[in-house]
Amino acid sequence: MGSAIGAQSVLNPTGKKWKRSLFADLLLTALIDAFSILVIFLLMNFSSTGEILFINKGVELPKASQADMLERNTVVRYDEGKFFIENKEMVNQDAMIQELLDTRKEWSSTHPNEEFKGILTIQADKKTKYENLNSIVLAMAHAGYGEIRFAVVTK
Amino acid sequence: MKHKKKHLDFELNLIPFIDLLSTCICFLLITAVWMQVGSLNVKQAVGGQPASETEKKPTAWIYMEKDGSVTFDVKDSPALRADLRKSTVPAKAGKLDLELVNKLAADLRTVDPGLRTALIQPKPETSYEDIIDLMDTVKKAGLGDLGVVPL
Repeated sequence: MGSAIGAQSVLNPTGKKWKRSLFADLLLTALIDAFSILVIFLLMNFSSTGEILFINKGVELPKASQADMLERNTVVRYDEGKFFIENKEMVNQDAMIQELLDTRKEWSSTHPNEEFKGILTIQADKKTKYENLNSIVLAMAHAGYGEIRFAVVTK
Repeated sequence: MKHKKKHLDFELNLIPFIDLLSTCICFLLITAVWMQVGSLNVKQAVGGQPASETEKKPTAWIYMEKDGSVTFDVKDSPALRADLRKSTVPAKAGKLDLELVNKLAADLRTVDPGLRTALIQPKPETSYEDIIDLMDTVKKAGLGDLGVVPL
């Protein structure tokens, strides 16, 4: 007499032969759930501020917890002993002042009814000495820029 | 006449939905920025205005020394006693003692709530990281208007 367990046996079934279906049912609900959670998580983390700065490999920005959101301003970068204004290499401090003045003039011509804010973003490696950053601070003072945004990694 | 029974269950085609989600995930993963970049807002301490025109506000001048010690010198603060106006935070193992700096800045703010400005004077050898750490600590204590003094 065939028992219910015997009928279910895979090795030696005693009961009626059971036809295995060739169509496997894929449970899509769990997959869609996982995808939706992933999309929501990635959308919440989505940020466009990374496009403002071009950070070279090996450059590590300092960390700060009181940081504000990064805005689009003129970026001055100190990298491996060289100064760059918007990726344009500056040979000395005078060139830096001239470039900042040109940027200011260009901004005034494109925004005729607005007051010049004079904001500059400084980007440098965390090990940079202040004597190197001082050239940027002096150049911006000469060119009429009064506010500095130090680029940092938010803690 | 025989009525045809209307099916209440209908099949939703999930394939376009899965396609859309997959595309979204790919795009978001590729464009994801894992490092959150922000900015610490600072004013340039060398002003364009003459000293006579500048409004006298309580200001903490913070001098960073080569050995990691920090000296606070509060100016134009009538609320602070003369002996409290100048104080030094010694270095901790050759580095800034940020805990003590935070405590001192918070204490100064308690005595004079009008103290909101801090001007930082680093040394040429001071690292950018130390300047940012100090600014961050001081800002956390309530001194929100920060300035950096050129050499």
